Amino acid sequence: MTISDETLMAYADGELDAATRASVEAAMQGDAEIARRVARHRALRATMQKAFDAALEEPVPDRLIAAARGQTAAPKSAVADLSLAREAAARRKNLAAPWPVAMAASLLLGLGLGFLAWHGSGALLRPGSGGGLVADAALAEALSGQLSDDRSPARVAVAGLSFRNKSGDYCRTFSLTGTNASSGLACREGKDWSIKALAQAPGAEKNPGNFRTAGSEESPAIRAAVEGAIDGEPLNHAGEIAARQAGWAAAPKR
Amino acid sequence: MSTNDSVQNIQEQIVALLPRLRRFARNLVRNPHDADDVVQIAVERALLRLDQWRSDARLDSWLFKILRNAWIDEVRARARRAKILMPEEAGEQIGEASMEREIERWSAEAALTRLPEDQRLAVSLVLIEGLSYKDAAEVLDVPLGTLTSRLARGREALQAMLRLPEGDAS
Repeated sequence: MTISDETLMAYADGELDAATRASVEAAMQGDAEIARRVARHRALRATMQKAFDAALEEPVPDRLIAAARGQTAAPKSAVADLSLAREAAARRKNLAAPWPVAMAASLLLGLGLGFLAWHGSGALLRPGSGGGLVADAALAEALSGQLSDDRSPARVAVAGLSFRNKSGDYCRTFSLTGTNASSGLACREGKDWSIKALAQAPGAEKNPGNFRTAGSEESPAIRAAVEGAIDGEPLNHAGEIAARQAGWAAAPKR
Repeated sequence: MSTNDSVQNIQEQIVALLPRLRRFARNLVRNPHDADDVVQIAVERALLRLDQWRSDARLDSWLFKILRNAWIDEVRARARRAKILMPEEAGEQIGEASMEREIERWSAEAALTRLPEDQRLAVSLVLIEGLSYKDAAEVLDVPLGTLTSRLARGREALQAMLRLPEGDAS
């Protein structure tokens, strides 16, 4: 018998009435292909649940608990403008402690190797031909297409500071948004953006150097990587446009 | 909600739901700081409208719906102000021991963020938040058939992106 994929999906999601459920179960008994398709739906459900369950363990900010208990001073003003809350958050983050560079290095190792071991490819990074990681999908698009001052919320990947390294290759910092915000450094090698450094974002601290921040913030580890690689000054707006037009092809060494 | 007792009771139920509200908000908004701000707005609105909540309805679905509407309002307000805000991060340090899990989460998250909003929210409500099709359709204000077709397309896209093993899962 033929069973539509939507029916199998509904079965895996526990949405069928008893009679339909029984007929799906009978079909699963008799047809390995149907059983396989159901298993696939269940596996996806389990993967998504597991991946997002961790978010429930995070501590809830006090201000939300206070709001839920009706202890907010003036509800109407809170509705008025998110930017106020944002500025307050930014001020708090400026006080954040710096993050040890050694830890960033070990995280990079763990992230890179673990990522490869997990399933061999991912949505934003993939293994490059040289054995390292290269940007993929939305991250590659951001690095190739976005300018540093191109800001928009709700982006997965944001490209930041651009510069040339000592080999003449273009390099760019980037940040990834989401609950596991990360920042990193990638350099253009051939047609790929090769990942040179990657760190779980610790939150911002003040940026005392000459560098503009990439995206919202870079970790100190990424800034150290930039300082180690940069040759000369970061690109300005016009420099970025020119480099983008040239496809970020390596410039001859000066 | 006639007595203070029951109001307090609901407030505590909302407190208990905050982790899930934050999680759904992040899948809705994709920027952790905006997400918490929208949760706060939604919770405040919910308290002002407790009399509209039918106690036979699920409190989580009701709050998800208020949350979604609060975000729609915010997006409209932003469009009016034409004000583009910087993306921010809520990054937290994590130990290496949990790295494997973080990586897996990160990939599933990355895959989810690449879905069109319609599919992303259907997946988020049904697969992650565990709502029934009917409740999820209600939150999103769409007919049941629309919800199931968005969910089916979202699942298909996720399967392709995550390259889950075929059929050998328990």
